Amino acid sequence: MSDYLLDIRDLKLAFKNYAGLVEVLHGISLNIRRGEKVALVGESGSGKSVTARIILGLLQELSSARISGSVHFEGQDLEALALRTRLALRGTKISMIFQDPTSSLNPVYTIGVQFNEVLKRGNPGILERDAGTRAVSLLQDVSIPEPERVLASYPFQLSGGMNQRVMIAMALANEPSLLIADEPGTALDVTVQAQTLHLMRDLVERRGTSVLFISHNLGVVREFADRVYVIYKGRLVEHGETSELFHRPRHPYTRALMAAVPRITGGGIPEIAENSSGFTEPLIDHEVSP
Amino acid sequence: MSPVVRLLVKRLSISIIVLIGVSMLIFTIARVIPGDPARIALGPNATVEQVDQLREKLHLNEPIWVQYGYFIRDFSRGDLGISLYTNRPVTTDIAQFLPATLELVIVAGVFMIGFGIPLGIASARYRGKTADNVIRVISLLGVSAPSFVWAVILMLLFAFFLPLFPIAGQISDTLTVPPRITGFLLVDTLLAGDIPAFLSAVHHIILPAFALALSGIGQAARLTRSNMVETYDKPYIEMAQSYGFPARRIANRYAFRPSLIPSLTIIGLDFAAMLGNAFLVEAVYAWPGLSRYGVQVILRKDLNAIVGTVLVISATFLIVNIIVDLLIAYINPRIRLAERGRP
Repeated sequence: MSDYLLDIRDLKLAFKNYAGLVEVLHGISLNIRRGEKVALVGESGSGKSVTARIILGLLQELSSARISGSVHFEGQDLEALALRTRLALRGTKISMIFQDPTSSLNPVYTIGVQFNEVLKRGNPGILERDAGTRAVSLLQDVSIPEPERVLASYPFQLSGGMNQRVMIAMALANEPSLLIADEPGTALDVTVQAQTLHLMRDLVERRGTSVLFISHNLGVVREFADRVYVIYKGRLVEHGETSELFHRPRHPYTRALMAAVPRITGGGIPEIAENSSGFTEPLIDHEVSP
Repeated sequence: MSPVVRLLVKRLSISIIVLIGVSMLIFTIARVIPGDPARIALGPNATVEQVDQLREKLHLNEPIWVQYGYFIRDFSRGDLGISLYTNRPVTTDIAQFLPATLELVIVAGVFMIGFGIPLGIASARYRGKTADNVIRVISLLGVSAPSFVWAVILMLLFAFFLPLFPIAGQISDTLTVPPRITGFLLVDTLLAGDIPAFLSAVHHIILPAFALALSGIGQAARLTRSNMVETYDKPYIEMAQSYGFPARRIANRYAFRPSLIPSLTIIGLDFAAMLGNAFLVEAVYAWPGLSRYGVQVILRKDLNAIVGTVLVISATFLIVNIIVDLLIAYINPRIRLAERGRP
């Protein structure tokens, strides 16, 4: 039906609580082509992370979540897929990288054990020894100097940057076609974050993996993404190719977001309006070259 | 030295210090409470000379530190003195009564872990659903009544109104008790190859052990549940879910082990506390155990027996704690590796 790897149409999400329904996403539509790196940018609470979790089907398990709209992955409607089939996609065709690498790895198992389980997801019949060899080569891909030592370690024995590399290697281990990166490395310091992002970009470009990159950090997005969606309070407000959007931001919210980045040359923390009527203006869609 | 051995040595030496402290304390307390042990033992008809003779024999006329010195001297020879209640060496009494209590407590401990932890896991996994609510009500009931109340209720329900289990005792009267080898009836009957006697012993121990375990089951279920619920909010659980591992696997493998670390200490303490709680359960079910013996000797102010019983119970408590510490070190790599790192 479409040549998009991921095609989200009019996605709405509401949570039911005692007061009634609270709508969090008001109908967002976005798509990702094969091999494309797309960013979803917005402030915290704008609905970025829940979008990622809906794609993986994690939110659907919450009894309080009300979801409508459609998510197509590789041409298949994810809602129409049986739970079992959808579960089978996770960790194999779609994988995810989380914000804080150290607390996203289980503290009571070694990296090797956890890596093994991930590899078994992709290939249940894999032999223990083959899994070990494969883990070592995957860790070498993310420039980890002593893979054997890292595999024998527990997450708390490694640095945040090292754990981030491990998580990237795990996420790419089963050659997924879509990688969702939810604020990757936000918990790390900026130099380490930059290193691991470079590494991740090289790896996904080499493998042709599509990426949904979720971030609030415009600088990072500009370096990383081909295309950008800006989200504000559960609505997409601007969409375009990265260079176009950064050169000619047209939506008031996007402009405010860009002005909000503190300059290294000084000038203090920028003044940003808490709320502006302009922020809720409808979506501005830049021309995208086919 | 391997880290586990170092941990063991450290805990053992602390335990010995604790035991010395306990012995001094109980030695003093038993002697300062009013009442003359020699008079109680000999009865109202004994002459003053007889009482004085016994007091002399028990060194009761010496200052208390001298008495403690005698106690330590005898203790180092493995002698805890003669019980005035049974007129036998205290060590013999303990050897006779301790296995029955340990057997009861161990079976209750198995019930506590075998029922409590799985119930807690299920409760956390089906959080907010009917299964969770049912389990929470049951575990609250278990925690809120002391074990002797459960002993009476269970006896009424399942031995009297609905005679599924025997009312009291360790083994059916019609069966011959096998030769005493370990003192543990469940083991001895098996060693003797006497299957009917073994089954009868199992049949007899279920109700008292369950009564003793019920509050522990409730406690273990509640602790496991709350720790699991907390663990379920950790990022590594979401990561496991994002890799599509089945819910059962996430519960039993990814969430359970980190959650067990804080529960285990309390479960260990509960286990040891059952030694004390066993007394009323033993009384209700006419169980020939050490707790019952302990109460008798306290009522008779039988000094040697009091000190001996308390020491044995404290030692068991400490041993259980050491085992729990080792288990935690095994499960929690942070502790295991920290022990290794020390000079």
